[in-house]
Amino acid sequence: MLLFGLFFLIGQTIAQENTVSGTVTSSEDGLSLPGVSVKIKSSNVGTQTNVDGKYTIRAKAGDILVFSFLGTIAQERIVGTASQINVSLKQDSKALDEVVVTALGSTVQKRSLGTSQQTVKGEDIAGTQRENFINSLQGRVAGVDVISTSGVPGASSSITIRGVSSISGSNQPLFIIDGLPIDNKTLNTSAFFSEISSTTSQANRTNDFTNRSSDINPEDIESLVVLKGPEAAALYGIDAANGAIVITTKRGKVGAGVIDYSNSFRIETPRGKPEIQREYGPSAVGSTTFLYFGDKYPAGTKFYDNIDGFFKTALTQKHNLSLSGGAENVTYRISSSFTNQNGIVPNSKYDRITLTGATQATLNKWLKTDLSLNYTYANNDQPRKGDGGPLIGLLVWPQTDDATNYLTAVGERRRITTLGAGSEIDNPYFNVNKNKTNSKNNRILANLGLTITPFKWANIKSNIGVDNYTNQNVILRHPESTAGFGFRGILDIANDVTRNINVQNLFNINKFNINKDISFDATIGQSLQDLRSNIDASYGENFLDFNFVSINNTYIRNGRNSQVRRRLFSAFARATASYKNYLYLTLTGRNDWTSTIPEGSNSFFYPSISSSFVFTDVPAFKGLQKYLTSGKLRAAFAQVGKDARPYAFVPGLEYKGTVAGGYGLGFTGPNPGLKPEFAKSYEIGTELSFFKDRLGLDVTVYRKETSDQIINDIRASYATGYILFNLNGGSTRNQGLEITLSGTPIKNKNFAWNLLTNFESARGKVLALPNALPESYVSDTWLYGNVRNGNTPGKSTRSLTGTFYLRNKQGSIIIDPTTGLPLRSTTFIDGGYDRQPDYTIGLTNSFSYKNLSLSFLLDFRKGGDILNATQQYLTARGLSMRTLDRMEPRVITGVLRDGRENSDTPTANNIVVIPNYQTGYYTGISEELFIEKDINWVRLRDVTLNYKLPSTLLKKQNFIKNASLFVTGTDLFLITNYSGLDPIVNGNSAAVGGSGGAGIDYGNFPIPAGINLGLRIGL
Amino acid sequence: MICLITCLVAASGCKDYLDVNKNPNAPENAAANLYLAPMLHWMVTSPQFDARFIGRYTQNWYLPTTAITTWDQQGYDTSSDNGGQLWRDVYWSLGHNLNRMITQAEAEQRWDVLGVGYILKAWGWQSLTDLHGEIIIKEAFDETKTSFKYDTQEFAYQEVQRLLTLAIANLQRTDGFVNQSYLAVGDKIYNGDRSKWIKFAYGLLAINLNHYSNKTGVYNPDAVIDAVNKSFASNIDNALLAYSNTANDDTNFFGPRRQNMQNYRQTQFIVNLLNGSQFGGVDDPRRTRMLAPSPDGQYRGLDINIINFGTLTTAQRPNNIWGYAANISSGVKTTYIFDDKSIMPGMTYSQLQFIKAEAAYKKGDKTTALTAYTNGVSAHIDFVNERNLDNKQLPTQITPTEKATFLANPNIIPTAANLNLSQIMSQKYIAQWGWGHLETWMDLRRYGYTNVEALTGKQVFLGFGVPTALFGDNGGKTVQRIRPRYNSEYVWNIKSLEEIGGLATDYQTKPLWIIQP
Repeated sequence: MLLFGLFFLIGQTIAQENTVSGTVTSSEDGLSLPGVSVKIKSSNVGTQTNVDGKYTIRAKAGDILVFSFLGTIAQERIVGTASQINVSLKQDSKALDEVVVTALGSTVQKRSLGTSQQTVKGEDIAGTQRENFINSLQGRVAGVDVISTSGVPGASSSITIRGVSSISGSNQPLFIIDGLPIDNKTLNTSAFFSEISSTTSQANRTNDFTNRSSDINPEDIESLVVLKGPEAAALYGIDAANGAIVITTKRGKVGAGVIDYSNSFRIETPRGKPEIQREYGPSAVGSTTFLYFGDKYPAGTKFYDNIDGFFKTALTQKHNLSLSGGAENVTYRISSSFTNQNGIVPNSKYDRITLTGATQATLNKWLKTDLSLNYTYANNDQPRKGDGGPLIGLLVWPQTDDATNYLTAVGERRRITTLGAGSEIDNPYFNVNKNKTNSKNNRILANLGLTITPFKWANIKSNIGVDNYTNQNVILRHPESTAGFGFRGILDIANDVTRNINVQNLFNINKFNINKDISFDATIGQSLQDLRSNIDASYGENFLDFNFVSINNTYIRNGRNSQVRRRLFSAFARATASYKNYLYLTLTGRNDWTSTIPEGSNSFFYPSISSSFVFTDVPAFKGLQKYLTSGKLRAAFAQVGKDARPYAFVPGLEYKGTVAGGYGLGFTGPNPGLKPEFAKSYEIGTELSFFKDRLGLDVTVYRKETSDQIINDIRASYATGYILFNLNGGSTRNQGLEITLSGTPIKNKNFAWNLLTNFESARGKVLALPNALPESYVSDTWLYGNVRNGNTPGKSTRSLTGTFYLRNKQGSIIIDPTTGLPLRSTTFIDGGYDRQPDYTIGLTNSFSYKNLSLSFLLDFRKGGDILNATQQYLTARGLSMRTLDRMEPRVITGVLRDGRENSDTPTANNIVVIPNYQTGYYTGISEELFIEKDINWVRLRDVTLNYKLPSTLLKKQNFIKNASLFVTGTDLFLITNYSGLDPIVNGNSAAVGGSGGAGIDYGNFPIPAGINLGLRIGL
Repeated sequence: MICLITCLVAASGCKDYLDVNKNPNAPENAAANLYLAPMLHWMVTSPQFDARFIGRYTQNWYLPTTAITTWDQQGYDTSSDNGGQLWRDVYWSLGHNLNRMITQAEAEQRWDVLGVGYILKAWGWQSLTDLHGEIIIKEAFDETKTSFKYDTQEFAYQEVQRLLTLAIANLQRTDGFVNQSYLAVGDKIYNGDRSKWIKFAYGLLAINLNHYSNKTGVYNPDAVIDAVNKSFASNIDNALLAYSNTANDDTNFFGPRRQNMQNYRQTQFIVNLLNGSQFGGVDDPRRTRMLAPSPDGQYRGLDINIINFGTLTTAQRPNNIWGYAANISSGVKTTYIFDDKSIMPGMTYSQLQFIKAEAAYKKGDKTTALTAYTNGVSAHIDFVNERNLDNKQLPTQITPTEKATFLANPNIIPTAANLNLSQIMSQKYIAQWGWGHLETWMDLRRYGYTNVEALTGKQVFLGFGVPTALFGDNGGKTVQRIRPRYNSEYVWNIKSLEEIGGLATDYQTKPLWIIQP
């Protein structure tokens, strides 16, 4: 309404003028340039060139026409008597003069930046056809690591920049849209009532909910800037200690209205399937799961291809429509999108509808407004995962039984063993049809910006934003299912109403010259944030009608409310001085006052300093320009503080649901001395450009150390009276190298080849834990056997600890002399396993030939360990292909525990084991043997072939102005030494802090391969 | 407008603006009686958690699987918190909550609440030291410390006595703000009745003093008898907790809803105690009211030395403790104290009467011993009847005739002269079967599991046998203690553990101080 109201205010009053027309071309290749802004200087009148680069405008003689286009040098022409003015725009070739968006939304020339940041164009993001735009960033930015929880629609994605530095807290960056933070929460299952009791708790292991930044439609993104370190993100403060992702959404452009429509249809199929043995049949039933240590299947046994039949070809469709345009004083853009994504796992889907409107207006000389409103509806169904998930069920379900037949004649769960219903694993079909994990989200993002220019030399930019969503989540454990049987069904509902308000005021002092060499600009700002989440959880069990899903259908009901509030008040300033436009120095300072740290230490200040030196512009070094088009050195130092999570220092009472209710303390002990943690970060880098910007190199080396790191939920002896503490005293160091190489090896009138290579090598190391404690871990990650994301001093921040095999001082495995099998440690030890890759490379190649373009992104990874828990599970149950040699006698290499195992002459093991008869060989096998070391991969993340319909073809009609057809492949191939389905995997979800469950593969569905077909048309 | 918001915040003061860190989800402090109910819940429930493991040491039940489990072999699960529930509840569920309640009750002169608090404290140390031996008492509950020294069991026992004396003294007071209805808010065991709590304190004291039975010169049977006499007078005084079964956490741990016991089966040992094998062929009417039949209707128990169900056919395999061959879900009728809504005892009259019988027997007063013994058996029969009515379970009531016939049999109730220790301790085992795990295990350990009474030549526990294959690390020795909770002590308090020898691979076989002469 408001939008259209503003639109109609524009008057269209032009009279007594001549028509001027012409064509705008690029000086580089002579091709016409569409979308070039043509304005009459000092007036409201303007237009844009059409697809063929042609424009028509009415102007008086003497008017000055201004031709401007992103990435080119603007030109001015005086209107004379000629009715035709053709212009050839020169590329603004100097890479360092490119204008980029940086912290606080300011646009600066790249040359002035002393910190590392990288931009991704919105069209590149949207072009990947990913529903969750975060998944399109892997490989496109050096230092960014994206891990999708699984290949299921709506799976959460975790994104870390420059590795894992927080041992227990969030390592996710801050998300900024149009200047203000937005919420990227992944719902933690702790929101549900059933999480209170360990009997019903699911601890982020079996359910996943979308990370909320995926509510943004990728088609609405104009550009995305990754501010990598605290140096670049210093002005954003405590929430940007892990970097920031700054998104600018699309706005309308001055000129005639444009209607853009695009669609995409995708077919997805599983890329591989797990293999299980088909030789040995089931053995004694009676344990809690299916074991296959029995006799060989008799010849002629009928087998069913349960696994093959389970996955289906999944269809996805997307439609995007946007209307945009504007006149000199007002621009508008409204857009809508519809996504309907189905997964390869039956009954998994993700639907999203977005509606956005953005309008900008210049009211008068001193006031500009910008209002954007974004509504998103998302509806996601995911299967269970991990333990009790359909994949595990699919694998262990007897191959001699037809799993598709999952119901009895009367519609009840069909059982095949004498095990209890709570012990017999769910038939995978039953599981996906009867159990449910559903999440619906209704979200409104509103952002109002005012720019007031009271003086020529300064302006005030104020933004107020509301991020408000209602997230309704349901987990159903069907009354007949393994998980729900004992309770006659469990229905968990959590309705999260999150309302975040952000206010930010900036006072910008424009660049002014102090003398002819030195100029200066600055910003002073202030922001405040009020975050509030209110979760109403209801819980029902004992279903009346087993198949009716409603809390009203349960006999026993419970509920709980959990609220979280956090407030933050900040003041900050930035000042940049430049000397002769080749030497820049930027200082920033920020003070935060947070509600989550005890009064007295809740105010903290931290500075940053960065400098940029464009040495090729120094007269003395001009000679370098023979080799270098431009060259820049940069160095930066930043400090950044970080607060605690709300209510971390006061032990809170909790309602206890034990008999007659009552209050009792929670797990977490008090810490009145809690103080903010600090990170100190240094980076140096260089940006070099060769051959007239045909080749660019950007190298950054960084090092970040956190001190007083707040370790959440670190354990202690129960003798403290508590179980967990939030303590300062952690320390980590992250260091790494990032290289971006960009080039245009070939470019001529018809053909161009662009490439972009991003290289990252990062290391994170734990230096210390509070109270010299031996280990800290996030308990949710202890999801399989005795392995977890334990952090121990001196080891990687992404290491794994476990009850690994006992070894003697020579490192040999110690063998139990009574069984001939290895002995395991009774404590969690670090076995030198590290999930951090040695390096990753993202390689983007784009080719264009006339109207045809092809681009693809290859993602390489070298090193990093992955726990293939699924394989361990299959081995322990005699299903893994590697158990086929079970009849073969063997002696496990090791030394006997006979009292001499740690002497210089230990007794070598000589006990022969035949696993078929001593199944302990498999059932007790350590997870350690399934941590696959040094996993490498090459993955074709995406490939797009685009064909733009030639204008000659479109000229024949007047309706469609431009059109293109495309084919995009996603995750088409994966070459890896990993034996599981997909090395991109998370045993938990993105909700889990620290290094999380990334690299723990247990019953997780892999990312499917997909082919998208679609078209884009402009009217 | 936006500046205006900022100005408003600035005007109201940053301090006020940031003052939103008061947890809105629960208060920071609560009234003394609001802490009580969860702690009493755990006093009764916590032993049931650990009963999954202790119950296998004591052969209450057996867990049939494809290999004999560690606990059935008197071992333990390495790097696991199994068997560590009491550790958790004494230090955490009680822990600071109990300290807060005691401090507040004392400040507010609520002597009755204070008395119950001291009882809970005493109960905690008593139960914990009986399981683990050395425990942390003096240094406990100091959250600024990072290592905690263990105290001796001797100290723990004395501390329990001191606390019980304090408890009794406070519960006898009527001044200050003693108020039954205030106490009753959290006291769902005695509904605020001080006189019953005094009896409970004496009962706990009797348990404590009776454990000294192997310490000649220290053991004082008169003190034990005196304490029992001041404690429960009949089943009316039993400490009972009724599970409300409105959610997982207020449901009987043994009930089908919580699915903890679906795979456990009764042992041959308990079946033989009830089917006459050990009591002169007298079939105990409690057999069919406490135990589960096999599908063929016979009552069998599993041999703890045989893997899984051995050669038993499907129809011969004992049903689960709820009385069914297959697993059941919530809401289905069950047996004895294994219902979702069962009323679970923490201490019973019959249990205490057997303690009195044992003390009197040791003292040589067989008449007193026989009376107490008879009371114990009789009261437990009544108890079984009560429990099977808690939620109208499957078994029928034991009729007065059945009871009278049973009690009239000299194999069950002999003359005073014929009474022996085996009868007292084996009947006590029956009375405590399924719930009195801590005391049952103490009894077995006090009598070396298989000790023989010299006088009769009979085993004290009739028919009990130590597993033929003991847990590998035991070195051929029986289990004497549970290791302290793994994720508390073996990870975060290793140094102190080392000082008491807790890192030895056979630490679980180290005899407790209290059972040594």
